[in-house]
Amino acid sequence: MGTANQKEFINRIKMALGKPFAESRQKADLFNSEMSAESRAILEHIKNRNAAERKKLLETLIEAAGPINLQVISCDDISAVTGAIAGLVRAKDPEWGDQKSVVAWAHPLVERLNLPAALSEQKVPMFVTGSKSTADEDLRQQVIDAYIGITSADFCMADTATLVMRARPGQARSVSLVPAIHIAVIKLDQIIADLKELFALLKWDPHERREGLTNCLTFVSGPSKTADIEATMVHGAHGPREVHLFVISA
Amino acid sequence: MTKITTENYVAEARKAIKNQVLQRALADLQNRFGRGTAECYRQLPEGPDLRLKAHEIRMKTIENLDVVLETLAANILKNGGHVFFAKDSRAAVDYCLEVARRHQVRRVVKGKSMVSEEIDLNAALMDAGIEVSETDLGEYIIQLAGETPSHIIAPAIHKTRNDVGSLFAAKLDIPYEDDPPKLTWIARKALRQKFLAADMGTSGCNIACAETGHITTVSNEGNIRMSTTLPKVHMAFMGMERVAARLEDHDILLRLLCRGAAAQNMATYVSYIGGPRQADQVDGPQEFHLVILDNGRSRILADAEFREMLCCIRCAACLNVCPVYAKIGGHSYGYAYTGPVGAVVTPLLVGINRAKDLCLGETLCGACQEACAVNIDLPRMLLALRAKLAEGDPAWGVKPADRKEKLLWQAWSMMIRKRTVYDFVLRLAALVQKLMPQRDGMIRRLPPPVSGWTQGRDLRPLAKESFIQRWRKGF
Amino acid sequence: MSNEQPVTLFIQCIVDTHYPAVAEAMVRVLRRLGISLTCPGDQTCCGQPAFNSGYRRQARTAAQHFIEVFENSEIIVCPSGSCVNMVRHHYAELFQNDSQWLARARNLARRTYEFSEYLVDVLRVEALGARFDGRVTYHDSCHLLRGIGVRQQPRTLLQHVSGMDFIEMRDSDYCCGFGGTFSVKYPDISDAMVTDKAKNIMATKADAVVGCDMGCLMNIRGKLSRLGSDIKVMHLAQILAC
Repeated sequence: MGTANQKEFINRIKMALGKPFAESRQKADLFNSEMSAESRAILEHIKNRNAAERKKLLETLIEAAGPINLQVISCDDISAVTGAIAGLVRAKDPEWGDQKSVVAWAHPLVERLNLPAALSEQKVPMFVTGSKSTADEDLRQQVIDAYIGITSADFCMADTATLVMRARPGQARSVSLVPAIHIAVIKLDQIIADLKELFALLKWDPHERREGLTNCLTFVSGPSKTADIEATMVHGAHGPREVHLFVISA
Repeated sequence: MTKITTENYVAEARKAIKNQVLQRALADLQNRFGRGTAECYRQLPEGPDLRLKAHEIRMKTIENLDVVLETLAANILKNGGHVFFAKDSRAAVDYCLEVARRHQVRRVVKGKSMVSEEIDLNAALMDAGIEVSETDLGEYIIQLAGETPSHIIAPAIHKTRNDVGSLFAAKLDIPYEDDPPKLTWIARKALRQKFLAADMGTSGCNIACAETGHITTVSNEGNIRMSTTLPKVHMAFMGMERVAARLEDHDILLRLLCRGAAAQNMATYVSYIGGPRQADQVDGPQEFHLVILDNGRSRILADAEFREMLCCIRCAACLNVCPVYAKIGGHSYGYAYTGPVGAVVTPLLVGINRAKDLCLGETLCGACQEACAVNIDLPRMLLALRAKLAEGDPAWGVKPADRKEKLLWQAWSMMIRKRTVYDFVLRLAALVQKLMPQRDGMIRRLPPPVSGWTQGRDLRPLAKESFIQRWRKGF
Repeated sequence: MSNEQPVTLFIQCIVDTHYPAVAEAMVRVLRRLGISLTCPGDQTCCGQPAFNSGYRRQARTAAQHFIEVFENSEIIVCPSGSCVNMVRHHYAELFQNDSQWLARARNLARRTYEFSEYLVDVLRVEALGARFDGRVTYHDSCHLLRGIGVRQQPRTLLQHVSGMDFIEMRDSDYCCGFGGTFSVKYPDISDAMVTDKAKNIMATKADAVVGCDMGCLMNIRGKLSRLGSDIKVMHLAQILAC
């Protein structure tokens, strides 16, 4: 039934626009199939970013993170991150029930943290949303039960302190959403300036465009919030109450 | 179809003006967001004129809407999603019910969407025996109270913490509590159960991207992510105009949307959703449906005078600066769309005569256009609607709203053509005004049809001599 | 004063009929600058009330009369931003299907100025040697501000008045709720709006509130009077003529 509907629907629009006009238009005007000079310049700029510029972006990110209560922690090496996460796991209480468990993406950077070992002394189990060997239903329950979710991200936009995550096998969308605390770990060179850079990368960078936006591209800028009751700002409406972002410089 | 109560504009406005709690909340809202948004625009690297660029982008899309929508639909199908083109509310609702039946849906969680208000999705689902939970905190409060939203972005601004506390105590069977963080947590807990148990999640769409085949959802709470991630079916509803052709367009539009909606540089959550979970992914809905709604929009598109209205991205920035909205609140507008956007779009959707007070009940102060994220000339369209009401317009099925008034204006137009006639009428009026009660040189009470003036104000009487008369005498 | 271009007075109907003193003050200020003035005795109304109510045919009649009366004037100055906005922007809309009248309307629009705009932007005058002892606040009229973009000019002129203590009110750019026939058709809403305006004015403890449009000022004055306030309501020209 879809296509007949569609034809009738689109025809109504054509009629509304004035038919001769509608038919004379060129599709090419609307969707730029060639990379513009501007996009090319943006990609060049990203590629040639030097260490000082990256540091500057980190500073911008930290500045933007403040007002939205995103905790940004810059670490020189990966072991420092592992230690800090173990500290968070120890310090924070679970929101629902009293069992502590952690859920994490199957992701190279997260694996390098070697968290299961670090958490074993606290006897806090860590589940990984990795292989399809675990049934989806069990995985779902592990995410629901966890009070901390650990992910990486594809990019982080400094301008607005926004994590950008694509949907991939092993990298469940719910890990950054359902647990009360979201911890993200990225490397310094994953920080980009803004939306303009992000969209240029996703649309035109030969490597990034292969994957494109995927079926779910998510931006996260700090913890969940609401001001629906007397305009009072409260964190943790439905999503995480806290978000901690670790940036590894080395 | 949502109950349309546009006829009650004046009565509802009167009620709202007397409601002190609402008045304070509205003032606070405008103070915060109205001024905040203006400041956000000023701080844009491109400045407030970026809104003009956004207007161009929107107009170009609207003028190519057939191509843009076909591209969007084709890309979503390619990604394994379903697209349904709905001519009207009925078609949209029926499609949703049909999918719900197929999946034996018993519980739906709903992410805030103006279109679902427009088509009154809740009522249809509940009639079918399906439990519907609003999940935006404000919408949840409104649903528990059995009311309708009064603001596009802040639906429950007319409720105090005490109202919410009593409501939660009564409906959720818990002790009374009036601390906003605690109340938020109570809702978080209650709704978490709803998210986990739901079979279907619905959402709106802020601005789709045709060339990639994605819808976007924007929220601060995370309820829309929950609704579109956890249930096995996700159904999104979008007005047919809510789309951009290119990903690049989203840079400007998204930045302006967040600033216009909540004076933020970026909302907490933005998702680009382009289809169901892939075979190798571990979560996300198994089915993704997009319902694209016309419901009278193609008629707006066909009229060059009103086509611009389809540029609107429903950020609600106009509500946060409108001095009329600040007094009468959202309920007075009698339909899903409130404030200046409602004053133009509602008459076009539900009938101009029926919503005549929405067209006439503004001062044309122009604050809305200045606040509009995409610089829509709302005052111009209000004037165009008034012209239809004055003269009638068969194309829109409009009858002249007030024939007596028309006669008065006709008489007026004869009078202003000749100064001698004008002066004669002035002299007459000066005689009549002597009958009016005065104090300290001000008229205290006027007769109908101008009695409204002296309801709360005095009037300076006509001068003994007009300036032109004095000039003639050699001032 | 080097600028000797004669000025034709375009007197807003409310000023003409209710507030002739405002026009007189404007005349005094302009004469003080050595400007020769004319004032067509045939003028009536620019047509804005009809236009804003949707009666475009009737508004067109008014606009045609206005164009005929003022067509031969070199510079037209009006003590109302709202009327200037009508001539400058809406006449084009009224005559969009009539190229002859459209050309005449456009030609006229280019030569029509609001009073404060004319002083500051055209004559480049800021100080007029006026004196006013007291505290003064200023109301931004909507069409003056958002229609023709005049925000600073009246403030600049006020700041050069000696003896004056100028204070901004809260929400000076919020509509006062006048809106022409709106004020009579929707009295509850209009009254609620002007009540806020009056409160903001009274909160400044000003001796006078000044504006550039007697439509708004008539509304504000009407409310202050009903509230029993003795704050003076003055057109900018009246302060500058002091």
